[in-house]
Amino acid sequence: MKKEREHETGAGPAPAAERGAAEGGPGREAPEERLLRLLAELSETPAPSGHEQKLARRVAAELEACADTVRTDALGNVIARRSGSGTDTPPKLMIAAHMDEIGLIVTKVEDDGFLRFAPIGGIDPRTLAAQEVTVLTEPPLPGFIGVKPPHLLPEDERDKTVPIEDMFIDTGLSPDEARRRVRPGDVAVIRRAFTRLLGTRAAGKALDNRAGVAAMLEAMNLLSGLRHAADVYAVATVQEEVGLRGAMVSAYGIVPDAAIAVDVGFGAAPGLPEDDVIKMGRGPAIALGANVHPQLHELLVETARLHGIPHQIEPMPAGSGTDAWAVQVVRSGVPTAVVSIPLRYMHSSVEVVDIEDVRNTARLLAHAAAALREEDVKGWTYDLA
Amino acid sequence: MQAKYSDIERLEQLIRRLAPLFGPSGAEDQVRAAVIDLVKPLAHEVTVDALGSVIALRRGTGGAGAKKVMIAAHMDEIGIMVTHIDDDGFLRFAPVGGVGPATLLGQQVVFEDGTVGSIGIEKVDGPKDIQMDKLFIDIGATSRAEAEKAVRIGSSATYLRDVARSGRRLIGKAMDDRAGCAVAVETLHQLKADPSPHDVYFVFTVQEEVGLRGARTAAYAIEPDVAIAVDVTATGDTPKGERLNMKLGGGAAIKVKDASLIAHGGVRELLVQCAADEGIPYQMEVLPYGGTDAGAVHLTRSGVPSGVVSIPTRYLHTPAEMVDLGDAAAAADLLTAVLRRDLTLTAGA
Repeated sequence: MKKEREHETGAGPAPAAERGAAEGGPGREAPEERLLRLLAELSETPAPSGHEQKLARRVAAELEACADTVRTDALGNVIARRSGSGTDTPPKLMIAAHMDEIGLIVTKVEDDGFLRFAPIGGIDPRTLAAQEVTVLTEPPLPGFIGVKPPHLLPEDERDKTVPIEDMFIDTGLSPDEARRRVRPGDVAVIRRAFTRLLGTRAAGKALDNRAGVAAMLEAMNLLSGLRHAADVYAVATVQEEVGLRGAMVSAYGIVPDAAIAVDVGFGAAPGLPEDDVIKMGRGPAIALGANVHPQLHELLVETARLHGIPHQIEPMPAGSGTDAWAVQVVRSGVPTAVVSIPLRYMHSSVEVVDIEDVRNTARLLAHAAAALREEDVKGWTYDLA
Repeated sequence: MQAKYSDIERLEQLIRRLAPLFGPSGAEDQVRAAVIDLVKPLAHEVTVDALGSVIALRRGTGGAGAKKVMIAAHMDEIGIMVTHIDDDGFLRFAPVGGVGPATLLGQQVVFEDGTVGSIGIEKVDGPKDIQMDKLFIDIGATSRAEAEKAVRIGSSATYLRDVARSGRRLIGKAMDDRAGCAVAVETLHQLKADPSPHDVYFVFTVQEEVGLRGARTAAYAIEPDVAIAVDVTATGDTPKGERLNMKLGGGAAIKVKDASLIAHGGVRELLVQCAADEGIPYQMEVLPYGGTDAGAVHLTRSGVPSGVVSIPTRYLHTPAEMVDLGDAAAAADLLTAVLRRDLTLTAGA
């Protein structure tokens, strides 16, 4: 990558432009604080796969402030566009962050009023026992996932995880009332308040991938203070957790020249093999592997270096398990990259992120988007020689 | 047993005609011929696409709000395919779709040309050893040469089974999804008698059981505004069965989710509202596994709002699949009624 990119990042030095957009002048709260508030709100808004409407409205409202157009598609993806300037044929960059979360779906209301359920996405049954849940009826219903008292557990069940099909939600309602208020197909999420930890860390549910959504929203916000040639599409995708479905159809509609998925990665924690994790607080992980176009990877790394954004490189030999995996093979193929925010305890309701990582991910996305030029994507074909 | 719109007797005859036909995935010719025969008098246009799906277009009366709607029912069924013929004329085979060894054992199977065979098994120690690779087909041949006169490597076979009726219930092979095909044809009859404003593409798809393939390409070509698949679903109403809401005789099932699809909230609620308004018996369906054509259709191009009307079926993927004729009629009623409605969708939930 070339140094000339610096000229693409706007009138003044990048940090000043960033301050202008993100902090809005003196006396306003620090970007970390604002991001934490946004993340708290995103985390606590329920949006299990296929039921993202409420969060979609919130995300769309946020994007209205910094995008030229905001629309939704047939599956409910929120697609915001910021038009580029300085060229008649701007390259199209898609940034995808999935807004759905894993959840539960009621399969049956038993005669005694207990609710049987199945997972939506990769729910780990070990994380469910004795959790508080909210059944997303109108109005929402509080409930609890019941467990057998340990005193009455047969010896052979004590060390075992209860299979999901044997679990149930107790809403406290009478059987008649439960049948009246709950219909098979109603969905539920774990109820968990967003919690600020010490320093720059926070914990909550659905930070996979609300952390990515927050980073994407902040990146679009930062972009409004930068000059960029590319048409930048920020897509809050639906149904990632059940098969990367929203990304697939939104990319078909956008026909991007390049796409970056922003999602979460496995943050280092006790007992995890070092080779499989990325480090908390060390900035976004820029992936390298089959799902990543080498030159888009280079653009990201070079951008990070140029702007002094802390980052780490994450080897990703095969599937990324992110929206980029679907987008890469849409139509006749799309150069893709994956940027991951380190996150601990993935697919539990106590996921932990470092807000500095979220902020640095936003900076990386914004500056990379600003750096992308028409010549780049044209040059990203594989040479026959 | 009565239906709001459907002709139950005709529906039964349709199922009886279609279910016994030979049609494992990729070898749907006999079903296709029968379907074309059935829909020709009912549709404005009948075409067959590159993969072999039958597309029958029933044009609507039009007007503001008229949509392009795709109804999908799959013609193919699970089966087995010959992989090896030994010197003594015994045939080894591989599954086509979700076929299990325990179900195959002791069955008669039939090839496209009518050749019949028994499923035999090597000497095994117990039920645990009943594995696919221990099974073979015996077509009565005494040598490889004799066997090769009737079948070859790559020939498919399916269960040899007619449809039986017991009370309100029909029992047989391939109710999955010939019952759905029958419901689609019956709906086409209803729309001919009393039309819909919408252009409705009834697609009888191929290769659903091996990955929803026919539906994918058909939807790409049609570019529908809305899609509804008609397929079967499992039930939780048998002794010590699965914990599922669906039961035989409970009416048409309106799908919320399976492994291939989360139904579009707008389509789902349109179906629920329609069933409730019209007094058509219905039940909600959440199937923690499995998939239908709608799974492929909703991801076509920029996405298609899709839902599923299911026929609850016991003993799926066995030669003794059981459906309730009243449920099938309710499914046809629901499709008929919804297709005559305004299909303007509210956003998904």
